[in-house]
Amino acid sequence: MSHDDAGAPPAAPPWATSIDRRDHAKKLKQTRPDAGAKRVLDVDHVSIELRGKLIVDDVSFFIPKGEFVCLCGPNGAGTSTLLKAVMGLLTPTHGTIKILGDDPDRGHHRVGYVPQRKGYDRDFPARSVELITASLRGRWPVHVKEDEREKARAVLAKVGGEKLLDKPIAGLSGGETQRVFLARALVTDPALVILDEPTAGVDVKGRAELLALMAEISRSDELAAILVTHNLAAVAQTAERIVYLEGGKLLGWGLPDEMLGQSSLTALAFAGTDHARHKDEE
Amino acid sequence: MDWLTEPLSFGFMQRALYAGLAVSVVCAVIGIFVVQRGLAFLGDGLAHACFGGIAIGLYLGTDVENAVWMAIPFTVLIALGIGFVLRSSQLRGDVATGVFFSFSFALGILFLGLRSATARPVNVESLLFGSILAVSPGVLDVVLIVSVTALVVTLLLWSRLAYAIFDPELAAVSGVPVAALEYLLLGQTAVVIVVAVKTVGVVLVSSFIVIPAAAGRLIGSTMARATMWAVGFGAFGAAFGLIASYHLDVPTGATIILTQCACFGGALAFGRH
Repeated sequence: MSHDDAGAPPAAPPWATSIDRRDHAKKLKQTRPDAGAKRVLDVDHVSIELRGKLIVDDVSFFIPKGEFVCLCGPNGAGTSTLLKAVMGLLTPTHGTIKILGDDPDRGHHRVGYVPQRKGYDRDFPARSVELITASLRGRWPVHVKEDEREKARAVLAKVGGEKLLDKPIAGLSGGETQRVFLARALVTDPALVILDEPTAGVDVKGRAELLALMAEISRSDELAAILVTHNLAAVAQTAERIVYLEGGKLLGWGLPDEMLGQSSLTALAFAGTDHARHKDEE
Repeated sequence: MDWLTEPLSFGFMQRALYAGLAVSVVCAVIGIFVVQRGLAFLGDGLAHACFGGIAIGLYLGTDVENAVWMAIPFTVLIALGIGFVLRSSQLRGDVATGVFFSFSFALGILFLGLRSATARPVNVESLLFGSILAVSPGVLDVVLIVSVTALVVTLLLWSRLAYAIFDPELAAVSGVPVAALEYLLLGQTAVVIVVAVKTVGVVLVSSFIVIPAAAGRLIGSTMARATMWAVGFGAFGAAFGLIASYHLDVPTGATIILTQCACFGGALAFGRH
């Protein structure tokens, strides 16, 4: 499973959706992205040890510009640890991670992050516009300038949340919270956006809308995206490729049809998780 | 106008006003972060830790006047210890503070008991309740230097501190040094509290941290506005309480705290919550 497995495909036409591009890749049996493509994220033989325990074990993959990748694996697979390293919060024990050629701690402004566990202080006196401006500045604003306000308004409009601009964060619903956090991730014009279980806490209808929105933004902005999810429907709806980890190792990297055809993989990665709950709800 | 100028014609009242304003403003600015971080009990805990430090100073032979300054390193260590427990365990802030509070206070009582029988007796009541009217020119200088320094540092770091308090993970992803800021906030709070203990005593100092900040939170719709309201309530409480206590001839520290409580009541009644 080296980077060089994929042959050079013909020049890609402008796809209407990332799923069209995926279908094209499927026809060409292009399991891996073009090795010569510009890499937004390059994870190269990365191992991470925490407190003497190997959590991520020699993982290599890359994400080219504009590709929507689902990072999957059962609990304890090492996905969260790997994401922390991508965001510069952990340093790999071995191997390198590059974001547009830079180390993660230098490239963090190029990464937009929508966290799974909304660990923010729900009692914090703030409005959406301040949260989005904080992402823009890298610190909390005392006063939001007019141009920052316009940027926040524009990015909220992009995610269908323009009316949320001056709404207190404490009063946001689950779906509204996700839109605001998505807006704060996008406002810095990142090259890579990390979506960690973004539909957690959102109702079924809202989930489908959010996923369609994220896939659409990724396509229209040529934005590389990593979606971490246990939701099989989300993978089928959005993924151009799947990166599958288990026990810290990379067990699969390829097209969804190839990967999801492996029953052992789907059973491990999605059983008893959001997917099962999603099925029950439907 | 005489109501205002007559008490301030005395030197001790002027010093009390300056000390009260300095301590209340810096405590309000720090208090916003402490309260928002869910560490309202921290002021109380560190004030009692300060008592432990003072007792160690007395055991080592210093007088009460100077033992307070010896309490600074001890109280800072306790604050950093609370921060370490918060970061390395799942314990909540009030639990971590409670453990260190008890440890320090017990240590203080132990060291007071270990002093030789011939040592000068200590007026524990003056330590516990302090006296803002007894602030000497020398103490006022220290209070002003520490308060202004802490205020400048906190205001310079305000934006990063606020982001780190809102969501440590998001702030860290944006490049904010969350752990360093948290330790700095705790250490600085410890220093300010020791200085405040010198003016208002162990028992009342936490109210300077908690009450104006809590009232500001009830009124301010943003973190910046909440901070400004907290500063206003703190300064008003110190000035009004001091002057009122003079005219009513009642204990000053208690009058300041009751004024702050009245501000909190007003914020509760008319705030945005």
